[in-house]
Amino acid sequence: MESLTDASLKALSLLVSGDAELWAIISISFGVSFQAILYTTPPALLTAYALAHFEFPGRRTLVSLFHTLLAVPAVVVGLTLYLLLSRSGPFGDLKLLFTQTAMVLGQMVLSFPILVAMGHSALQSADQRVWETAYTLGAPPLRAMFTVMHEVRYGLFAAVIAAFGRIIAEVGCSMMVGGNILNYTRNITTAIALETSKGQFAQGIALGIVLLVLALVLNYSLSTLRHRLAMQA
Amino acid sequence: MKTPLFHFRHVTKRFGDRVLLNIDEFVVNAGVCMLITGDNGAGKTTLLKIVSGLVKPDSAKVQVKDAVLSWSKARVKIQRNLVYLHQDPYMLDTTVERNIAYGLRLHKEPRAHLYDTVADALRWARLDHLAHRNARSLSGGEKQRVALTRARIVNPSVLALDEPTTNMDQQSRISTYQLIDALRNEGMAILVASHDQTGLTPIADHHTQLVGGKLVNVEPAFKRSRATKVTRFPG
Repeated sequence: MESLTDASLKALSLLVSGDAELWAIISISFGVSFQAILYTTPPALLTAYALAHFEFPGRRTLVSLFHTLLAVPAVVVGLTLYLLLSRSGPFGDLKLLFTQTAMVLGQMVLSFPILVAMGHSALQSADQRVWETAYTLGAPPLRAMFTVMHEVRYGLFAAVIAAFGRIIAEVGCSMMVGGNILNYTRNITTAIALETSKGQFAQGIALGIVLLVLALVLNYSLSTLRHRLAMQA
Repeated sequence: MKTPLFHFRHVTKRFGDRVLLNIDEFVVNAGVCMLITGDNGAGKTTLLKIVSGLVKPDSAKVQVKDAVLSWSKARVKIQRNLVYLHQDPYMLDTTVERNIAYGLRLHKEPRAHLYDTVADALRWARLDHLAHRNARSLSGGEKQRVALTRARIVNPSVLALDEPTTNMDQQSRISTYQLIDALRNEGMAILVASHDQTGLTPIADHHTQLVGGKLVNVEPAFKRSRATKVTRFPG
């Protein structure tokens, strides 16, 4: 087993030398998570808006449900999706298991409650006068909704960033429904798990550095947005 | 002759067991300024919001021209013709210019024409020096002027103003009276809910008071010629 110093130096050299395998893993990771966030954000924010803006029976229960779903472990989502997509499952014919599409689906399921719960909090804190002002100046309901969303945009960006941070760092769901296939479904977290189990730490550390840098960037963005939110209030 | 734009009948609104509003008739006439006064909690804001299509009454019929509609159906027509202004107007988190342009953008005004119209409106309200300031950084009086200009630019038939001069210094109050008077002189019907009777009574054609959920006429309203109105507010 190589020493931590050797492994770390090798990791840095892999990163700066543009190692093809390493950067393929990073690009798969970002590609899958970006797609998941892109497809989930519109329906999740619409749901959050409906929960914040309309009164209907069962609204509070739904809000509680989404808050509860925040704590669902990624492996449980992975297991459920695995059962649904496996050959004997109801969606087996679609042959989606061990594909990037399955990973995107899994990450969509994971990010949806985060976006709804955080989006709902942001939209609920919006001043009632925003919607009323938009409406009275002639905005149709959809445009009034976008105006409200624009006014609480920092809170909504924070929700998107938090959801992205959660899905790009999850391992359980991607491992189960992606299958960790090199150059296809191997992403940062599943690669770290695999390399560590093989005792090959250099690539794991390099990928870990990428995740840490990402976590730093996301946290910095979140704190900047929170600062702007506080200024807005 | 006064032309009724909206004729509200049997407007009721309850909050729990309390009947806040029980109004038999409320007519919004074209080009007429109506001052609505009443104690705190009398329901002035709720009435204005019902009339503006923002708060659903428990019951109400609205006559628009010859058609008698439910409040929900009349709401679309109200939205096209009436702009409501809050006591503390909400400023969108952008420049004064873009705040004023908001309504015009909704009406799909061509971009080239849009900013000329906005520039004219800014000059009209003497806000041109503030055009590129964030609207949230303005004083209460300036915000009210931006809100009035933002409403005027969409050319509504009716303007509903909720306590437009509350928490304003004397100078801002005078400048708000002048704008309201100017809007009225442009032919806009104006509904004002306010405690400020002294400053607004000279502008109003009718003064009505909300007592126990009912509207009671306060007579006589200060009658005067349009020429004298403008000169009452030196600025």
